[in-house]
Amino acid sequence: MLRLLAVVAAALVLAGPAAACAHPRTSLGYLQGQVMCPTCHTTLDMSDSQAAQQIKAFIAKKVAACWTAKQIESALVANYGQEILAAPSHQGFDLLAWWLPIVGVLAGGVVLALGVWRWSRRRKPEEPDGPAGGSGLDEETERRLDDLLARFD
Amino acid sequence: MTRRLKLGGQLVAFACVAGLLALLVWSVVHQEHAPSVGSVAPSFTLRRLEGPGTVSLASYRGKPVVLNFWASWCEPCKSEAAVLQRDWASYRNRGVVFLGVDYHDLSSDARRFVSAHALTFPMLQDGSGNVTSRYGISQVPETYVLNRQGRVVAHLRGPITDPGFAGQFRAAIAKAAAA
Repeated sequence: MLRLLAVVAAALVLAGPAAACAHPRTSLGYLQGQVMCPTCHTTLDMSDSQAAQQIKAFIAKKVAACWTAKQIESALVANYGQEILAAPSHQGFDLLAWWLPIVGVLAGGVVLALGVWRWSRRRKPEEPDGPAGGSGLDEETERRLDDLLARFD
Repeated sequence: MTRRLKLGGQLVAFACVAGLLALLVWSVVHQEHAPSVGSVAPSFTLRRLEGPGTVSLASYRGKPVVLNFWASWCEPCKSEAAVLQRDWASYRNRGVVFLGVDYHDLSSDARRFVSAHALTFPMLQDGSGNVTSRYGISQVPETYVLNRQGRVVAHLRGPITDPGFAGQFRAAIAKAAAA
């Protein structure tokens, strides 16, 4: 912890000359949510392990030195591998992680819409086929019904 | 048409469930476990921490190997480092190989650690932790002692400076060298 504080303090001291960054400066707070703690498998902002503290100190130093978020992430990937980033990359097999949820939500939407459509059709009141006030049966059925009823008379 | 749609939906749902189940089985089967005593240690090739090139465990077949997993952010590794260096100095002439595997660590910090503790045995870098996880390492430091056939003679979970481990460590090296 003391080490982290010392590095953060050093980073703040160095922040003066680095204030003249040629690009908008990234922040430790932002990158803590983008980078994983390799030993605890949570993002840095949720971890206080020694490995996480080491990476936080590294990021603070690089932010003070005017590195961009991309540069810092690249350096971490070179050291720890792609797994150090919380979000999967936008290429190869990792693309699945981006597209699968979208496909899932779309498929769910289609299924839901289909269900609602079928349900609303089933609930629709049946329109009488015949003239208003009629039985709604065709002539043949009506005749057979009359015959059947006549048998009971 | 509706029946066909329903059947299609059921098939898709079944495929999804079967896929998830297969994924679960695969992850259970492929779970990493620490190699047990007597089993062959997992092979690996890792980058050297200092200098270019890689080192393969297989290249040390025929020699007893002490495989020490550490990281610069690990407090117990600091007290262990001096003991390891001293043991390395005393065992190297007897053909025992010491290998340090630095894991989940910034290489710049790791190099500083090696320099600060004047460690001279070969150091390898496992930044991603892939090799380390195959050895079932849960917390550093941990040490494996392998015999000439590459089989595990001992696995010490903790610093070798621990009172119970110092004797075990030396006994394991003697056993590994004799095999």
